[in-house]
Amino acid sequence: MSWLAPALWLARKDLRLEMKTRDVVASVGLFVLLVVVTASFAFPTGGAGREGVAAGVLWMSFLFAALLGMGRSMAIEKEDACLEGLLVSPAPREAVFLGKLLTNLGFTFAVEVVILPVFIALLQLRPGGGLWLLVLSAFLGTLGLVTVGTLFAAMAVNTRGREAILPLLVMPVSVPIMVAAVKVSQAGFAGGMGEGTLPWLLLMVGYDALFLLVALATFHHVTEE
Amino acid sequence: MSDVKAPTLDGSTRPRPVEPAVAEPAERTRRLWGLLALVTIPVLLAMAFWYAPEDANQGAAQRIFYIHVPSAWIGFLAFAVVFVASIAFLATGARRWDDLAASSAEVGVVFTSAVLITGPLWGRPVWGVYWTWDPRLTSFLMLWLIYLSYLVLRGYVPEPIRRARFSAVLGIVGFLDVPIVYLSARWWRSEHPTQFVVEGGRLPDQMLVTMLVGVVAFTFLYLYLLSVRRRVARLRAAAELEEVVR
Amino acid sequence: MRERPALGISLEQVTKAFGAQLALDHVDLEIPQGSFVAVMGANGAGKTTLLRTIAGIAVPTSGSVRIAGVEMRRAGPRLRALIGVVAHETMLYADLTVAENLRFHAGLFGLAHPREAVERASERLGVTPVLDRPVRALSRGTRQRVALARALLHDPAVLLLDEPYTGLDEAAAASLSELLEELATPERIVLVTLHDVVRAMAGPRRLVVLSGGRVALDTPIDGRSEDIAETYLGLLRQEVRR
Repeated sequence: MSWLAPALWLARKDLRLEMKTRDVVASVGLFVLLVVVTASFAFPTGGAGREGVAAGVLWMSFLFAALLGMGRSMAIEKEDACLEGLLVSPAPREAVFLGKLLTNLGFTFAVEVVILPVFIALLQLRPGGGLWLLVLSAFLGTLGLVTVGTLFAAMAVNTRGREAILPLLVMPVSVPIMVAAVKVSQAGFAGGMGEGTLPWLLLMVGYDALFLLVALATFHHVTEE
Repeated sequence: MSDVKAPTLDGSTRPRPVEPAVAEPAERTRRLWGLLALVTIPVLLAMAFWYAPEDANQGAAQRIFYIHVPSAWIGFLAFAVVFVASIAFLATGARRWDDLAASSAEVGVVFTSAVLITGPLWGRPVWGVYWTWDPRLTSFLMLWLIYLSYLVLRGYVPEPIRRARFSAVLGIVGFLDVPIVYLSARWWRSEHPTQFVVEGGRLPDQMLVTMLVGVVAFTFLYLYLLSVRRRVARLRAAAELEEVVR
Repeated sequence: MRERPALGISLEQVTKAFGAQLALDHVDLEIPQGSFVAVMGANGAGKTTLLRTIAGIAVPTSGSVRIAGVEMRRAGPRLRALIGVVAHETMLYADLTVAENLRFHAGLFGLAHPREAVERASERLGVTPVLDRPVRALSRGTRQRVALARALLHDPAVLLLDEPYTGLDEAAAASLSELLEELATPERIVLVTLHDVVRAMAGPRRLVVLSGGRVALDTPIDGRSEDIAETYLGLLRQEVRR
């Protein structure tokens, strides 16, 4: 059986569920917005070199968004044994992983799409030609976070701590992708590719590819009983 | 929804665990490692203080290097063992691989902590700062955090086989992450010039020899602690069995 | 032309350990096509684990589970296409409507004609009137029927039900029994776990009793209901004694 079709059905189902309940996007979105606004007060908005600080704060807020979203999305599957419903179905385990990955990507992107313009406005940044780089870094960075996070979320919901231990598992492992995302976003805020930006982009691509493979290979171990 | 075992109908003792009984690491091997560690560590300390020359620039504080570097090697080696054991566990399902991984993680975190403690102790008198974002030190900080998340995860999963599976996946992901962390720490640092380079360069022979003795001594210590910890794991598993049979 | 192996479930020395506890202890079981089996046993005897092992969610610590001659471990997705499961919990998304739930599962199962499958299943289970209501708003009995509809979407050859009678009133239970009898055709295998001896004798054609993860009793039910009930009560008496 193919992987993609069931994965898309799963993502579509999550979208429909979210549209009905507004469970995830509302709480996560609001929280992240608060983070951004608070950070804008705390950090100097003017001055040269603020792109670095801005990039750091931006990615902290994206990280929170991803963690909260992934945790919540897996917790929903845990209710009424819905996750088991997925595992009992003819869909391959990899498809279940991909489906949740797409869902988590979607949620996080939705939050990011709102946050980014707000951020740029609040901190009076002028990315100009660097906007495409910002979007690219958001995509690659989020993909990395969500790949590792979806795998770990499937583990987390099956522990005593439930989804609350997800940040604990994700954060150490996600440091490289976060650092890279910050670096590239910084360049984006500053107007475009800088001297050292390309290696960081390549690192992001490498990280995403590697952990996507690892996650696909190990997901069935995580869901087996 | 896991079922709890109920007593059998006829009350007879049932065939016990499914895995073949695994031999304990021989008492003698454990003692051997212990002995070797006991012998080589004082030698290391002696060499560190008297044989190795004093560094012209850094003075006596540099001697902590002979603890710092071997600890780093072992901290990394221990995690490599966790990685291999994790893969072996997922491939075979044999519990002894999980015991090995868990034991190596616990011992490894101790050595990694030593790296993080000796680092600042070295840094302060020599360079005036407790911490630098030097790529190696940063990588060890992250390694330490990954170790911790591994151990905390284990604490959160009471059922042994599931615990083993989850740990194995985290062990694999964590280990693969470490080189990437190092890479990103190196590139990141290159934009913030620092006042020293810990590359080792060309060490005078005496220092090199002392350091190698340190690596050897710490390896014995690691092997000893590892075998002790594995024995504890085995005893604990046996005790679990006892409780259930009773 | 290769002959398709007869569809049957085969458990060979299946053991499932959770830590040091054995939920299943070297279980051997052959369930040929056309079986309608009632699985009974005290709580914790291994009934749920048995079902989960056959369904492919739980992987045996040792031993093998085969369906149609193929090992579950090797061909998971293909074999799961033959199995429908109704568990303790509904496996339905409470905030979605019945129709949305069924349509989702039909798509997930990879059915060629999802819409028709949903129509068929909801007709059969009598849930067409509530198609547009959220699952959260339904009674336990109705939710059960939706769960069953879900399990039947792909017209599985094997139907596994874990304590489906729990929480049902008399009318709902009777209707479920009727349905299961209908479904237990010569082409299918139906496996039900339950606690009620009377119900176990009423429809199923074979009784398997588990105790402590082992098969304590395995007998066809062919009108000797009283004798079988006696034996079962005897087993229970023994258990109570210890």
